[in-house]
Amino acid sequence: MSNGDDFEEKEQERKVRRKVFHLTFAALALITAGFLIWKLRILILPIIVGALLAFLFRPVKERFKVRWLPHELQVLCSFAVIGLALFFAFNTLRKHIPDEEQKLEFKVRLKYKLNEKYRQLVAKMPGAKPNALTPLIEKELGPVMDKINLSLGLNSEERDLFLKYAAGYNGKPPIESKFVDYFRANRNTREYAIPEKAPARAVSSTGPVAAAAVQPPAATEGASLENKLSAWILAPLIFIFLGFDNGQIRRFFISLVPNRYFELSLTVLDRLDDAIGKYLRGTLTECLLVGLTLTLGLILLGIPAGIAVAIGVVSGLLNAIPYLGTVIALLIGVTYALIAENVRPLIPGLNPNDLALYVVILIIITHVLDDVVFQPFVLGSAVNVHPLVVIIAIIGGSLIMGLWGMLFAIPTVVVVKTAVATFFKELKDYRII
Amino acid sequence: MSARKLVADKLLWEPLGRWKRSSPELDRVQFLKTVPFFDQLSNRQLKNVSDIMFERTYEVDESIFEEGQPGAALFLILEGKIAIEISRETSTTRLAVLETGAFFGEMALLDDTPRSANARALERTRTLALYRNDLNGMIQRDAQTACQIYRSLAGMIGDRLRSTNELVRMKIPADEAGLG
Repeated sequence: MSNGDDFEEKEQERKVRRKVFHLTFAALALITAGFLIWKLRILILPIIVGALLAFLFRPVKERFKVRWLPHELQVLCSFAVIGLALFFAFNTLRKHIPDEEQKLEFKVRLKYKLNEKYRQLVAKMPGAKPNALTPLIEKELGPVMDKINLSLGLNSEERDLFLKYAAGYNGKPPIESKFVDYFRANRNTREYAIPEKAPARAVSSTGPVAAAAVQPPAATEGASLENKLSAWILAPLIFIFLGFDNGQIRRFFISLVPNRYFELSLTVLDRLDDAIGKYLRGTLTECLLVGLTLTLGLILLGIPAGIAVAIGVVSGLLNAIPYLGTVIALLIGVTYALIAENVRPLIPGLNPNDLALYVVILIIITHVLDDVVFQPFVLGSAVNVHPLVVIIAIIGGSLIMGLWGMLFAIPTVVVVKTAVATFFKELKDYRII
Repeated sequence: MSARKLVADKLLWEPLGRWKRSSPELDRVQFLKTVPFFDQLSNRQLKNVSDIMFERTYEVDESIFEEGQPGAALFLILEGKIAIEISRETSTTRLAVLETGAFFGEMALLDDTPRSANARALERTRTLALYRNDLNGMIQRDAQTACQIYRSLAGMIGDRLRSTNELVRMKIPADEAGLG
């Protein structure tokens, strides 16, 4: 056998060995990655949120680069600015998240106000005149009101607690006498329809928003909350370290790509980065505009600025969930409008008693503005997803990861859709398929 | 030279020199300095350019890019030899053989029009690739460097256009003479 043949044979053997090694390594890496992802699944969400924030704020980092300032210091400064902005936003929000006393007061006020509005509607108030529609409304809405009253009703423990808070308890000032009167009035609420069978378990809810969240068992709640909190420390760390990255991560992944796909992978990564970045940053700006419009509108309707900001922040964030976000914003806004007292609208000629109606109109106007102005202006030609896919994705997301799942469902669909479309287009352009 | 100085040189400067020589980053900057494409750039600018380049190694006969594929990057030969060829149905015409220090695929820095020829490694070749969008991104971060690179590119394309015009000018009288 000649030297050339020998060399060829050895090369062939080397190729086979290389293939076996690559396949074994890939299989082992996949198994290890799968095992680690399953075991460390609690870390997935903080990592995604940290990475997403770093991705979203990357253009800001690049735009405001100061040549004489070290890169790491610039990242830390931008992190501090973003952190402070988020801190103030969440602090404002936290101030308006009700504590135990406020939750009880909220339930009492909401129950009282809803019953008051219902009685006005079906003309059960003294001096009100019934009309032809009254019996129909009573027949349809009566059972609904009974169910609402049942879910908003305080159990015996809560009643005792409310009475304690009413007299001043736990270092807190006594509850306003007006609300104590509401509490007494609520106890005399009668049923509006023929009593139905009460549900096996009364829903313990603080309002429509909280009803969506499923609480874990009490015994494990403390431990899991601690785990979750410690896992969330990862989010800012991921944000900072991805901020420090100057393209090294991309270079590492590109270095793993075979030469044949080098230019292809650069193009695909770039197109993906561009399309997903445009979509996500567009959505963030859209949410910000929606939140801002709602906040301004609520302030004009006379709602205190702090509460208006809190409702604006929550509604703006939830606007990322198509359709459902608007419904939740409507529920939060109307619920607050129903229990709001002593509201003085800044727009002259508005009747404070019709606040709920104005809030509905405001949310419709915001929604129309979002559809007609914000979305075309901000998102432009960014990825479009079919409404049916949107609905299925939201339901699927909620089944897998609850509220977070709903929030991330559409971005995930957009990422997958863009990735698949770009990948196949480039594979064809590069004549690989 | 005294024995003490020799020992000092041996102990102090040689390791430092070795360290300097062995730093891949410095090697790349030194290499870029020798490429006409970047000869107007300062060391700091060359470092910035080096930071956005990808090093790729191609084995003998391995294709770097093929005719008709969308262009995405300019390649510089760090070490080795490559052939630029055009393939037709029955034959392959070799247009050029490029060696260390040469660059090719520079039109990809302008847009993604298809490559006009194949590039294939004739021996084990190390290259540095500059991706178009990374250079575009540099306009925001370091506009001066990006402008100088584009200027070099424009100059190079201008030279080629002049050469092509010259070729055409030389060919036309020859054709006319042939016809006549």
